[in-house]
Amino acid sequence: MSASHHLLRLQCVRCLSHFLGTPVRQVILPGRAHLQTPGSQHIYVQLLRPFHRSAVCSTDRQNRTDIEKLVEDETHHKDKTLVTHDDIFDRAAGDSKTKVEFNRVVDVFKSKDIRRRGHVEFIYAALKKMPEFGVECDVTVYNKLLDVFPKEVFVPQNFIQRMFNHYPRQQECGVQVLEQMENYGVMPNIETKVLLVQIFGEKSHPIRKFQRIMYWFPKFKHTNPYPVPHVLPSDPVDLAQFCLTRIAADLDAKITIYQYPSTDITETGEEITRPHIVGIQSPDQRSLLAKHNPCKPVFVEGPYPLWLRQKCVHYYLLRADPIPPEEKVEEEIDPEMICPEQSLFFPQRVELDLNVDMGDDHSFNVDEVEEGAVYAMCMAGQGDQATLSQWISGLQETCPILGQIPTVFRLESGPRELQTSTDDHQRPEQESETDQIIEDDEEPRHSQGVKQ
Amino acid sequence: MAVSRTTLKSLYGVCGVVYRQPLLFPSSLKCASIQITRSKFERDYQRPGQPPDTRWPWQMINFDFSKGVESVRKHFGLLKDEFFQRWIGPEGKPIIEHMLEQTRVVWEFRGPESLNEWIVSSDQEIGGRSVAYVSLGKNNTTCLLYGTLSSTPPRDGETRYSGYCSMRSKPPKASFDRKKHYDWSSFNTLHLRIRGDGRPWMINVSAETYFSHQRDDIYSYFLYTRGGPYWQDVKIPFSKFFLSSRGRIQDSQHPLWLDKINTIGFTLGDKADGPFQLEIDFIGLNNDCAHTEEFAYELYKKNP
Repeated sequence: MSASHHLLRLQCVRCLSHFLGTPVRQVILPGRAHLQTPGSQHIYVQLLRPFHRSAVCSTDRQNRTDIEKLVEDETHHKDKTLVTHDDIFDRAAGDSKTKVEFNRVVDVFKSKDIRRRGHVEFIYAALKKMPEFGVECDVTVYNKLLDVFPKEVFVPQNFIQRMFNHYPRQQECGVQVLEQMENYGVMPNIETKVLLVQIFGEKSHPIRKFQRIMYWFPKFKHTNPYPVPHVLPSDPVDLAQFCLTRIAADLDAKITIYQYPSTDITETGEEITRPHIVGIQSPDQRSLLAKHNPCKPVFVEGPYPLWLRQKCVHYYLLRADPIPPEEKVEEEIDPEMICPEQSLFFPQRVELDLNVDMGDDHSFNVDEVEEGAVYAMCMAGQGDQATLSQWISGLQETCPILGQIPTVFRLESGPRELQTSTDDHQRPEQESETDQIIEDDEEPRHSQGVKQ
Repeated sequence: MAVSRTTLKSLYGVCGVVYRQPLLFPSSLKCASIQITRSKFERDYQRPGQPPDTRWPWQMINFDFSKGVESVRKHFGLLKDEFFQRWIGPEGKPIIEHMLEQTRVVWEFRGPESLNEWIVSSDQEIGGRSVAYVSLGKNNTTCLLYGTLSSTPPRDGETRYSGYCSMRSKPPKASFDRKKHYDWSSFNTLHLRIRGDGRPWMINVSAETYFSHQRDDIYSYFLYTRGGPYWQDVKIPFSKFFLSSRGRIQDSQHPLWLDKINTIGFTLGDKADGPFQLEIDFIGLNNDCAHTEEFAYELYKKNP
């Protein structure tokens, strides 16, 4: 038996049930036995969803859910005004705005009317509401939204329709759904393609947009040489470790966790929260620090911003000022260590760059920017001087020379320094710089407001 | 651009004969009716809500005597340079150097006058709330582009997305404000030394075009910054640049032709609101012989 005959019989069942006033299940069609196979007695029970039923002749008034009533209110009782669907989402969701609620509203809209009247406005409203419900990065939700379009109605049937931008408003709506997917970086599915082909046909604007997305997204997915994962670690210590390995730019650098975040309650009942302190230092930085002149101070600078997708974290540096040219000490390089007289068995520097030809010179005729050396980096929960002093004292265990070097805290430097450099004189109280001489883990002595 | 200007002038010439007679016509109507001939794609951005600029070309000239004297000196100096430089070699460099060079520094920021070659813009022009500034970095050796992004779109009914900033170089000018182009045909890689804060930027190179519908053609590629206190060397081959126009990536792609480059620019438009900064040490070109790729994006038939 063909599907259309099934549907016709179903319609008869509906009409009969409406006429007789009985629920559908109890209607017995004559001559049913010879038409159906024994296993299909359940068919009528399964097909009880309102398939060919319009909203006018709704039989079970008591079983309608709140959402259905809401949707009907919006679309039928307000038919003199412009239909806006934004309120449906707000009122149906109530307090919790999750994927489940969103899906439920879309389902109700789909089940209400087979002709899907007002689906374009509904889809636009749904697209606007997606970030509120937190489903903007979910491809299944977009597929569900595309499912709202009636299938095969907008497919052009002849060459005139193909020429003249068949159903332009619906095509534009489909393109906008894909545009929002593109905006949030959501990769479409095979299901998306199937839906779009069923709805709009093969050569429509939404399919072209889909083809563009499927061409360019894979090309640009792995272009970032320093990729940031979509889901960042929530633990601040793990996040600090990830960020510090990223900015250290040295694979030999080692991370040290000086303090884990903890909350202590003292005897008096006060809460002392200790922030996390995570530091990183590479062997090169350590050797540079060991060669630092103890007469010159080292500066703790920060907070510098580091952006990871939408999140901004801050890090602090331990660096020295650039050495003026008259005080630079030329390092004596053993001639046996560098070619051409380099020892073949213990080469200091091996240049195996096969890309470079013999006469090639790929260096640029630019003076190197003179900057002070960076000795260590850290990320801390709080950026105040006490926390950073803890970091310095922790660092002193591996670099004992820090005990003799004066440390100056420049805690307002960074990008803010440039913007406030003109109001330097107006905010002197905020720049707290104190000379500190940390010797053998003594308590630091604060001098009185020594400004730089 | 040359084509459109001649057509415009011819139209003015034709219409001048027809429209000059009835002087009773209000001038705005006259301007509007003739400016319509210049298609909507050739005009500069018109802010929604603002009336279009319908002044005649001669109304847009303004005379200033002091500037005139300085500019005469500048232009004749440039003319003299142009005349005598070609006896040494192309662009004043000996030909041996031009032929054998494998790296060239095109922009370096060693003084405040280097910042005059750049134009900084943000979405304040369309009514947004981002700000962007450019200044010299520490020790006057680097260029620092900093500011704040805000992605709230302006409420003009048309604009849907906002939150961008950009720094673009001024197109090079020969004597008497004639157009000049950069010739980078002996190189194939762009080399930048930058220090960013982890945000993904985009590099836009615009080349000289012939047709008026190509006026917004820009070849772009991404500039990912690592963040941190260390300088980052970024090498981008020119074969990776893809063609886009008015922010939309185009279907028919072709490689960037390096013989007539006009401007280079950096733009930031990631949807993260907050402060940003990018420090640029220098921008240079490199001829990487190991890079043999001609173009990175293969084409397919659109309607197979």
